[in-house]
Amino acid sequence: MRNISLNFKKVWKSAFVFAAFSFLILSGAQAQDLVEGKTLFKDKCASCHNLATNSTGPALTPKMNELDEAYLIPWIKNNLALTASGNKQAIEASKFSPTEMKAFPTLTDDQIKSIIAYAKVGEPKKEVAAGEAAVDEGASALSIVGIIAIIILSIIVLIVLGRAVKMLERLILQKQGIEIVEEESVSLTVGVGRLFKNKKFVFFTVLCLVVVLGSFGWMGMWETGVHTGYKPTQPIKFSHELHAGINQIDCQYCHTGPFKSKNATIPSLNVCMNCHKNVQAVQEDGSVSPEIQKIYNAIGYDPATQTYDKTKEKPIEWVRVHNLPDFAYFNHSQHVVVGEAAIRKEKGLKPTDPVCFACHGPVNTMEELEQHSPLTMKWCINCHKDADISDKKDDAFYTNVIKAHEKIKKGEKITPALLGGLECGKCHY
Amino acid sequence: MESNKKYWKGLEEYKNTPDFVENNKNEFAEPLPIEDVLSEAGLSTVTPRRDFLKALGFGLGAVTLAACQKAPVHKSIPYLIRPEEVVPGIPNYYVSTFKGSPVLVKTVVGRPIKIEVNPNGGMFSTGTDAQAQASVLDLYDVSKLKAPVLKKKETTWSEMDAFVKGELNKAQASGKKIRIVSSSLNSPSAKAVVADFASKYPTTKHVQYDAVSYTGIIKANENSFGKAVLPKYNFDKADLIVSFAADFLGTWISGEEFTAQYVSNRNHKSLEKKKMSRHFQFETGMSLTGTNADTRVPIKLSEEGPALIALYNAITGNNLAGAALPNNAYATKALKLVGAELLQNKGKALVVSGSNDVSTQILVNAINAAIGSYGTTIDLDNPCKRYEGNDAEFAELINEMNRGEVAAVFFLNSNPAYDATNAKAFTDALTKVALKVSFADRADETADLCDAVAITPNYLESWGDANTYEGYYSVVQPTINPVFNSRQAEQSLLIWSDAAVQDYYQYVRNNWEKTILPSVGKTWNELLQLGVVSSTAKAAGAYSFGMSLEAVVASISASSKALQKDIELHVYESIPMRDGKHANNAFLQELPDPVSKVTWDNYIALAPKQAEKLGYKEFDLITVKGENGYAVDLPLLIQPGQAMGTASVALGYGRVKVGKAGDNVGKNAFPFVTFNNGTLKYATTAKLSAAGGREELAQTQTHHSFEGRNIIRETSLKDFLKDPAAGSGNHHKHKVYDLWTTDKHEKLGNDWVMAIDLNACTGCGSCIVACNVENNIPVVGKDEVRKRREMHWLRIDRYYSFNDEKAGHEVTKEKEIAHMEDLDQVSVVHQPMLCQHCDHAPCETVCPVLATVHSSDGLNHMAYNRCVGTRYCANNCPYKVRRFNWFNYWNDSRFDNYLNNEFTQLVLNPDVTTRSRGVMEKCSMCIQRIQAGKLTAKMEKRALKDGDIKMACQQACSANAIIFGDKNDPNSEVAKALRSERIYYVLEEINVQPGIGYMTKVRNIDSETKEAHHA
Repeated sequence: MRNISLNFKKVWKSAFVFAAFSFLILSGAQAQDLVEGKTLFKDKCASCHNLATNSTGPALTPKMNELDEAYLIPWIKNNLALTASGNKQAIEASKFSPTEMKAFPTLTDDQIKSIIAYAKVGEPKKEVAAGEAAVDEGASALSIVGIIAIIILSIIVLIVLGRAVKMLERLILQKQGIEIVEEESVSLTVGVGRLFKNKKFVFFTVLCLVVVLGSFGWMGMWETGVHTGYKPTQPIKFSHELHAGINQIDCQYCHTGPFKSKNATIPSLNVCMNCHKNVQAVQEDGSVSPEIQKIYNAIGYDPATQTYDKTKEKPIEWVRVHNLPDFAYFNHSQHVVVGEAAIRKEKGLKPTDPVCFACHGPVNTMEELEQHSPLTMKWCINCHKDADISDKKDDAFYTNVIKAHEKIKKGEKITPALLGGLECGKCHY
Repeated sequence: MESNKKYWKGLEEYKNTPDFVENNKNEFAEPLPIEDVLSEAGLSTVTPRRDFLKALGFGLGAVTLAACQKAPVHKSIPYLIRPEEVVPGIPNYYVSTFKGSPVLVKTVVGRPIKIEVNPNGGMFSTGTDAQAQASVLDLYDVSKLKAPVLKKKETTWSEMDAFVKGELNKAQASGKKIRIVSSSLNSPSAKAVVADFASKYPTTKHVQYDAVSYTGIIKANENSFGKAVLPKYNFDKADLIVSFAADFLGTWISGEEFTAQYVSNRNHKSLEKKKMSRHFQFETGMSLTGTNADTRVPIKLSEEGPALIALYNAITGNNLAGAALPNNAYATKALKLVGAELLQNKGKALVVSGSNDVSTQILVNAINAAIGSYGTTIDLDNPCKRYEGNDAEFAELINEMNRGEVAAVFFLNSNPAYDATNAKAFTDALTKVALKVSFADRADETADLCDAVAITPNYLESWGDANTYEGYYSVVQPTINPVFNSRQAEQSLLIWSDAAVQDYYQYVRNNWEKTILPSVGKTWNELLQLGVVSSTAKAAGAYSFGMSLEAVVASISASSKALQKDIELHVYESIPMRDGKHANNAFLQELPDPVSKVTWDNYIALAPKQAEKLGYKEFDLITVKGENGYAVDLPLLIQPGQAMGTASVALGYGRVKVGKAGDNVGKNAFPFVTFNNGTLKYATTAKLSAAGGREELAQTQTHHSFEGRNIIRETSLKDFLKDPAAGSGNHHKHKVYDLWTTDKHEKLGNDWVMAIDLNACTGCGSCIVACNVENNIPVVGKDEVRKRREMHWLRIDRYYSFNDEKAGHEVTKEKEIAHMEDLDQVSVVHQPMLCQHCDHAPCETVCPVLATVHSSDGLNHMAYNRCVGTRYCANNCPYKVRRFNWFNYWNDSRFDNYLNNEFTQLVLNPDVTTRSRGVMEKCSMCIQRIQAGKLTAKMEKRALKDGDIKMACQQACSANAIIFGDKNDPNSEVAKALRSERIYYVLEEINVQPGIGYMTKVRNIDSETKEAHHA
């Protein structure tokens, strides 16, 4: 028995030494390759390929491990030429999808090798710490509520205990035959009663109450029906922060309407699928992120087979954040196309910000979208009164109109209000 | 300086009946229940102070609580996969064809909501009729079937196909006949489908019959010239038009097209060139065309034949017998005058007759040949294909069915159980047919008797085509996927005949690519953009008439004699309802008849003296008993201008299986139609008797009275040529008083105004429907119309006046003819009336909440959400154009046929708010269109062009009577029109400064309208 285990130890040791040695040699170069490979992969391949799953193109990790570099390099450089040359393997491979793979003649062999190296290994597993941090963040709000609850509970417990102690004390005292002297509680009510007979005090109190309640009421009335900060829970936890902020996707990529129509339009799911056919934020267990899975469910897409099933379609019911009443007509294009310059100036937007931020606020920082502006008529009117549209002087539509107005309003700035922008029928019809 | 002519809208106004005077004092028909409140629950009961305070406190609390409710959560559901061409908020336009006329369909996010004019339409490009405008509502009709029906049970298409094919095979095996019955089918592809079907089942025959038939003209042309066609009429080439009861501006053949042609010789542009056609109308009932005629001569139905013989004699110098009109001296004189004028206008004149009698039409052909109409005003070489029905074939079908020779019958766009004259004989015969299939969209009168109802989609969901004139083709393309489980009739026929191509889209496309497109050098995609293609028209040949007229005249005289008994009954197509196919369309039901202004009903029209003679009062129920014994009770309408001894009843009403809105509205008049000499006759006789009882018609006629103010201005052509401002009152302006002398508002940008040419407006009413559809105007129903609560923003006022106003007036030749001592002799003016957008608007000053205010571009705005419903504005409006919402029409089961239904609400225009109860509304001058037009120009960074913005009413008007634009642009059409000397402003003397100018009505009559100075 001993001998065997010794032998085994020996073998294991030598194997370990060999492995460590070879790793030392390779790791420097390989790490370098992997970094470059990853960059190149993200840049050139990721729009059509995933590592682990099939998308427009096949999953790369198994393919790279299965195929041999001598074939892969010419294929990646120019797959069409390879297919045309009659390479059987290439012809077979080109049947994967009707979409032809792009040729990459500019990539060097080394670069391709880096990509292959990266693709073979794949993404290192997510660090556990990141996951924990996320959990913590999720719990933070809960814990505050919890703490408050605990405090309240303990106060209640203390009070109850205090009472119990008092009761017990009394019982003991009674048993001991000691007389209990009741506290003089009468004095307090008498005092309060006297206070209420003091006319000055009453007047002052009532005045205070009226002022406080009145101002609350007044403020409350102005806020009636105003939903600034309205942040409903959406059926999909779509983050504008992630898409518009971190990934810097232009607003118009998804909201195609505002620059041509009255509606900004909520993107249809085919727009989501442009990216999310590939971007699946795969979980540790290999499944698609549950939020992205909701897109798939709605459009009837099966990521495993990459097929759409019309019968499983179920439209997503988003909750409208910005609600204008039906009797008010609002046209996005009127504002973001015709009035863009004036609005930027009026709202002091940075030149790099999209004009949308003027009313919708810094959408690129909103994890959940909320209503930024009050959307009250007063808010509309104020802007129509103040915005300076003098820049329209050279615009053929405005030339005559502005010229005519300038005659009477010399020197004043030209605002939408001056051109009739405050008239009821301009928005209510 | 104004005419002293007296105008009146209805007899009650003319006679100033006590009821009318009383009603007229009130702004609203229903008295407000103030007195009830004061007498009963009001002052007599004592409300203690405490109760009052309790109620107040509770009320305040309740209101506060109600205001505290959380804002409702609105859902927003985007497309799963957005079609490339759809951008929510931007409408898409598709060309299509409605009943042979090219149209443009406006769709928003996939639902068609408005029919507009196809600018490529050529001869049809000027406007659309009321039916076309209203047709979008038919698509969203809830009374339609949702799935095919087999033996009264909903079924699937595969079961339907198996059943029909099985039956067809049995029919085939038995060698019995198969019949496809349709109204005129002017679709080349559908005809090809029918031919394919017939080649598979050789015993098939296609029977075409039209409820309102033109077989008479077709047969007459076959007889006279060897061409069995309906000719193309060119009213634009006629300086003199003589019509014998042909309502060519309304229902006759192609009203919209004829209107455009007719008006081109009479509108302001023509008058500027000092040119105006002359139009005589000889007719029985007062038709739309009759109201527009320069001289209208009432004749009995039995006099039409003799009148034509007399005219023929007058032109040719012949002396055919039967030309005497012994009891109508007026017509006799008029015919002499007309005869002489026709000879003077050879080659520039046109005589038409609305009769469906072959002999009568042969005589008309002879007259037209004698005055050289063929090749000029009548074109036989590019014939019209709208109507191809053959009355005799349908009559024969009933015989065939009765003999048991027919094994299968298919009904395509036809409903003989309702509209066949001998419907009973038809339905009895139908029971002897083994397979009865109806291609209908609902279980209508005929479909209800059929084994299978292969439901068909609306034209807005269909593929197809039309060939309205020789060489003129248009396409029907779907604008929405079929809403219900329907299938086009053509596709069903293709499937049942096992055709090689069973998809009808492919079939239509193949057919076009094979036959039509190569000849015009266009591709299919180009066609789908244009909607219309046409090959060069053939030269219209001149035709001479060489037949003997003896037999013809004998036949005419015999028919005329046959009519001379009891009351001569004239059954006609009314403009709103036509042949009744669209009877479930609430827009059309509520469209007032252009002449009688009756909605939601048909009636029997009698001349005032006739009613007096028979002892009937208006709205009395009269039993009308036809020649065949068919009798109905109809309310009486006293119609000035109706010929004595005659009565008129409109077709298209009295349907029983059409749906919620149209069932049992009015009475069916089709059974009065008679069939003799091979054609259907719409002239017949009837016996009248009092049925007892009374039914008030829902008339909009005298709802808005003008207290005899001088709002219609007219003149004669003769006077106009001397002085273009004749009759306009422009020479002697009133002194005006101005409340706002210091506070002037300049309109610096645009100044939106309108000019309406009273000489172009025929009063047809398609603008009303266009306005309704564009502006989401609710339909209120019969009872509400009776209470004067119709919501139409735009109405057409119809005024009568006597042809001879003043005794002792200088009597010219024409005057002699026009001389009449009773109400048979009236002339009519139609005046579209809508918000005048006054610069000094009386409504604005009385609104306590500033809900209606003026804009800097000349519009009178109405902010609905601000209105609290005091109705002061309506009281103070001198034009009576403000309409009050008495109900939440979109949320009230009493108005179920239109807005109050999720499905029909899909027809609403998303750019216009629906108004709530208690709110005033009125014409906004299509402000949504103005704003949209401006925005388009702004986005394109260009100046606004004249014509960029078109009103819905303007667009629908075939006569171009409505001109809209910017007055500040001196070159705009409207600015030019407003500089016309014919322009006057209604009630300008009260200095409200209206924004709509009207152009005087000009009549081409010989008399001189003397103007009397206004004191």
